[in-house]
Amino acid sequence: MTGAVESREERLLDLVIALNASRRPMTRAHIRRTVAGYGDAPSDEAFAKLFERDKQVLRDLGVPLVTVGTGGYGDDIGYRIDADAYALPPIRLSPGEMGVLSVAARLWSDTVLGGDTARAVTKLRSATRVNSFDDMLAGLSPRISAAGPTYQPLLDAITQRRRVSFNYRAASTGEVARRRIEPWRIVARRGGWYAIGYDCDRGQPRAFRLSRIDGEVDLDAARNSYQPPSHVDVDAALALDGGQEGQAQLAIMPERASAVRARAVDTDAAGDGVAGSGDAVEGGDTGGNGVADGRDVVIVPFTSLTVFADELAAYGPAVIVMSPDDLRQAVIDRLTAAAALEVTRG
Amino acid sequence: MAELSEDRLIRLISLVAYLDAAGPSTLDTLAHRFDVTPGQIRADIDLLWCTGLPGYGFDDLIDFDAWAIDAGLVKLTDAQGLTRPLRLGTREAVALLAALRALAASPAVAADPDRAEVTRSALKALAHAIDQAAGDAAQALDVALANDGNAQVLTALTAAVAGRQRLQLRYVNAADQVSERNVDPARIVTHDGATYLAAWCYRAAEPRFFRLDRILDAQVTATPADRNRVAEAENLDTVEALAGLQNSSAGNDDTGSASPDSTSPGSGDGLPVVTITFAGTARWIAETVPAVAVHDRPDGAFALTLRVVEAAWLRSLLLAQAPHIIAVEPPDAARPASDAAQEALALYGIE
Repeated sequence: MTGAVESREERLLDLVIALNASRRPMTRAHIRRTVAGYGDAPSDEAFAKLFERDKQVLRDLGVPLVTVGTGGYGDDIGYRIDADAYALPPIRLSPGEMGVLSVAARLWSDTVLGGDTARAVTKLRSATRVNSFDDMLAGLSPRISAAGPTYQPLLDAITQRRRVSFNYRAASTGEVARRRIEPWRIVARRGGWYAIGYDCDRGQPRAFRLSRIDGEVDLDAARNSYQPPSHVDVDAALALDGGQEGQAQLAIMPERASAVRARAVDTDAAGDGVAGSGDAVEGGDTGGNGVADGRDVVIVPFTSLTVFADELAAYGPAVIVMSPDDLRQAVIDRLTAAAALEVTRG
Repeated sequence: MAELSEDRLIRLISLVAYLDAAGPSTLDTLAHRFDVTPGQIRADIDLLWCTGLPGYGFDDLIDFDAWAIDAGLVKLTDAQGLTRPLRLGTREAVALLAALRALAASPAVAADPDRAEVTRSALKALAHAIDQAAGDAAQALDVALANDGNAQVLTALTAAVAGRQRLQLRYVNAADQVSERNVDPARIVTHDGATYLAAWCYRAAEPRFFRLDRILDAQVTATPADRNRVAEAENLDTVEALAGLQNSSAGNDDTGSASPDSTSPGSGDGLPVVTITFAGTARWIAETVPAVAVHDRPDGAFALTLRVVEAAWLRSLLLAQAPHIIAVEPPDAARPASDAAQEALALYGIE
């Protein structure tokens, strides 16, 4: 009998057991006739669709399901599980190492990454006999925010070396444009997720913030169509996103913005009369507005213009950006929008 | 949330492989090993009992000793060939290796020799357990936990946590006020873009989180930390409390933040409620601000309803994120931010 199955996992498990045990590759017809859950398919199309999807799921989960041509046509294609590739190589993990794996599994807020890691840990737990898991990382609760729905297609594209296209919203203008890249790396830094790759239209490496990808990531059909560099300077690439990293000259009200001051560098560059970090400058170069009167002028390095502009705008009048111009403008843009908040009432 | 069938399938395969190698095990030990309830293991066994080889006759199915199970002991009697642990899939290897590398490189692990060693050795053991293709793919994902705060502060905190000693902190809170405080440190928590110290704060007389990049100075004192107070700080619910704090300029200190009831027990009622409607481009805000409610609109915009614990926090949020904001309700809640912005623009020479 090939009775009904109660769940998808039951059907998938029956397929794994059947393919594992079969000495010869199983044809689609054979699978449909004998494996529980496939006989229910109401039509050839429904069966084909179901089987295609299950095949992909099993491969994604690490099951080495291979297609074997039998020299004939169509239905003569068979499927089997490569027994040599099926098993996890022997691995020995100490209770401490098992504990580290558990912490790693809790790192992701992202459901896809969290699921992928949890399954890896489940498999590893089945391969070790150690019964106690020491939590040597007790007291650490690291978390990384969700990457979102573009993570999985981008990772597939990188591992298969396929070019991708997507609609991307520019940070500066908010305009959406079609972008085409050869993705190299997916990167998370300071709460943001990025894809780094070669921008085919602009002819140079670029970083793209995943949250600004609008809609789906489309993968080219062709595989192995490029070779990512073996080393990618992630921090250099990210500086391209939303402006250059640099140093800002800030005029700060006395006693204010200590968190910003704490990151200040030696302020010799701030102009004459600067005694040291955080000290007041009498009438320094203020761009002609006199905003530095009574304020401390400090030099603070930053790596992301967007993040830094958010932070500085939050201080309102307590912190004024003197340079660079792009940071100054980014803060003014935020303030302009904030000033209008009350106007838009009603 | 219902479990994904992928996750359950992998546990089913892993259960059989483990039982085949390890022999009879109790429901409780299996539940502990696979991080589920004993009831779930029992349900898994009921499913496994129905699976097996085509034909699905009596001898074709995965089988367990039924008597033993009634006594709470799981004894596999026929694995139907599922005797080997399954190798890691490419995506699984990529995610696990990236998580371990991020842990190894995080300041809180790197600063502690024992933690650094166990994390490194776990990575090394794993490198032998994945195939070439997955190893190559693992380069594709590169995540880093926060590397914020200055090294001197981190060194002092790590030493104080390990030595259970009281710390003297100079701290600047979200309202931009600097204070000196004595704290008994419990642990260092890295959450995405930021690292926090969980500690009992003597100034606030309760457990608090302190953002590392807001700790201006930290000195280890000779006074031992109070065990009971450290224990209380250890019980701070990290994920809940910190979920909303990264990317905002707030620290979860005494000038607080917006917060759902769960993170500030008993303080939720009576707080001002504000609803902010954001454009769809600011989607990440919905994931990082602790909202009481989130309402999605068909055009991609979304409305966050917040309980405002501290006015300075709201003012900062509005000033920083104003370009993404469509509306604030009640509108008066935006007045402090709007006034501050106008004052600042005047200093820039813009009216």
